Amino acid sequence: MQRSAQASADSKSAGEPAAASDPNRQRRRERLLQIGTLVLLLAVWEFAARDANKLLVAVPSDIAIATWELLLNGELLSATLDSMSTFVLGFVIASVIGIVVGFAMGTNRTVEVILDPYINALYAMPLVALIPILMLWVGIGFLAKITIIILFAVFPVIINTVTGVKNVDRHYLDIGKAFMASRFMVYRRIIAPYALPYVASGLRIALGRGIIAMIVAEFLTSISGLGGLIINYTNAFETAKAFAPVLVVALLANALTVLVQKVEERFGRWRRR
Amino acid sequence: MPKLSVRNLTKRFPVSGGPSMTALDGVDLDVEEGEFIAFVGPSGCGKTTLLRIIQGLETATSGEIRIDGKPVTGPGHDRGFVFQQYGLLPWLTAAQNIGFALEAKGIPAARHGETTERVLATVGLKGFGDRFPHQLSGGMQQRVGIARALAIEPEIMLLDEPFGALDALTREILQNEMLGLTERMGKTILFVTHSVDEAVCLADRVVVMSPRPGRIREIVPIDIPRPRASLGEALRDTPEYVAKRHQLWTQLMDLV
Ligand SMILES: Nc1ncnc2c1ncn2[C@@H]1O[C@H](COP(=O)(O)OP(=O)(O)O)[C@@H](O)[C@H]1O
Ligand SMILES: [Mg+2]
Repeated sequence: MQRSAQASADSKSAGEPAAASDPNRQRRRERLLQIGTLVLLLAVWEFAARDANKLLVAVPSDIAIATWELLLNGELLSATLDSMSTFVLGFVIASVIGIVVGFAMGTNRTVEVILDPYINALYAMPLVALIPILMLWVGIGFLAKITIIILFAVFPVIINTVTGVKNVDRHYLDIGKAFMASRFMVYRRIIAPYALPYVASGLRIALGRGIIAMIVAEFLTSISGLGGLIINYTNAFETAKAFAPVLVVALLANALTVLVQKVEERFGRWRRR
Repeated sequence: MPKLSVRNLTKRFPVSGGPSMTALDGVDLDVEEGEFIAFVGPSGCGKTTLLRIIQGLETATSGEIRIDGKPVTGPGHDRGFVFQQYGLLPWLTAAQNIGFALEAKGIPAARHGETTERVLATVGLKGFGDRFPHQLSGGMQQRVGIARALAIEPEIMLLDEPFGALDALTREILQNEMLGLTERMGKTILFVTHSVDEAVCLADRVVVMSPRPGRIREIVPIDIPRPRASLGEALRDTPEYVAKRHQLWTQLMDLV
């Protein structure tokens, strides 16, 4: 180990332009390229839209000012909290249901045979079509939003969990059998860790779909949260202000994806790097 | 009464759209307590299948296995299995893999630490308990597998080509350790190998199997006195070793 580290350090100091081989420098240069492109893009947008109708198109500088205003008057924060509390609750419920149902289907053939057609059909269909009917049953309030988020998010979790559970390597199950592990131990120590990466990728898909569901629900049921801000400011032709919640949604979706990845990495430490 | 007796054991695997495949055909074998039996034979002759049935991982089509006269109906803590490959759970550390077997046997968690340390030390892996399998070499992984089987203190150990995937040097080192280990403990051992050397070094009797269908062709006693571990490299120069090695070679050559 030490020897090889030493060797690579030597080869670096031995000359030849180190720039290209230095990964840190390479990364910094790539970042710079990305930031430069973003600045250029915003500048082009700013100039191109300068003479356009302000009611229809907002320029970046206006959006920045509008975002600042909405931050100061607390509107953005309260809308974000409203949306997120609904989303997180819906997502957590969908995850729990998805994992439990997925485990049941993956380990019990009868359960799988019964549920499989519905799950596949519901996963494939455009669930938005169900929303008006759903509102007849659960109204337009909090419950409706939670229901819609669960409906959008639960199926990828189920399907991925089933795949992971059913794929468990026979060699690992044999270890459990040879040493007479209880059913609970087999679930906990063999099937669950094996299925974890599958579940995690299901959760990532569910995250994306759940955010879409949240916004759609805020558009179509009682208008509220970040989706509500977008609708209300668009209807009021305050286009710059409508962009602020869009930005927040984009940031949140990305932050949550990173969070799920981190959790997955934490549980996947045993894997070869 | 033999420690283990295998009577008229037959195993057929169903083959889709054809006649079933006979992996074992009328296998009979008695193993005395403390005996070291090695199984050799061309691949596909049913060595793994035989071991798996004795462990209870597979059920026989017909025939019977008895341990101390009692019929075997499934897996048991009286037998410890060492797998050829994929024998460790990759998401558990070496110590946790051993703990898995201890927990499965119902040993309270408070006693795991002590047992784990002891068996890891026995296989020469003191201090490696918190390594994950991928952080260990192939030879070390197999040692953990052996340590885990030892941890549950089985009466019979079953090892399916435990050194099959290792390089020649590691393999020879582990063979010598195995010799020392088994001679100290005096457990009943069933050991599958494709190496004639390994079989003659380690075993009291070598069972030669032939394929299609899997049968016992011959049982060759190895009369090299024990303890053999102390002989070291000289073991391989003893006349008995040379003669038995030659005899088994010739027999196996006839089979392939
Ligand atoms: N689960 C199984 N299904 C079908 N055939 C099998 C199965 N396991 C083993 N066999 C067949 O049984 C025969 C004996 O296999 P095995 O016991 O693995 O032999 P060995 O360990 O001596 O190489 C082989 O022909 C193999 O293909
Ligand atoms: Mg085999």
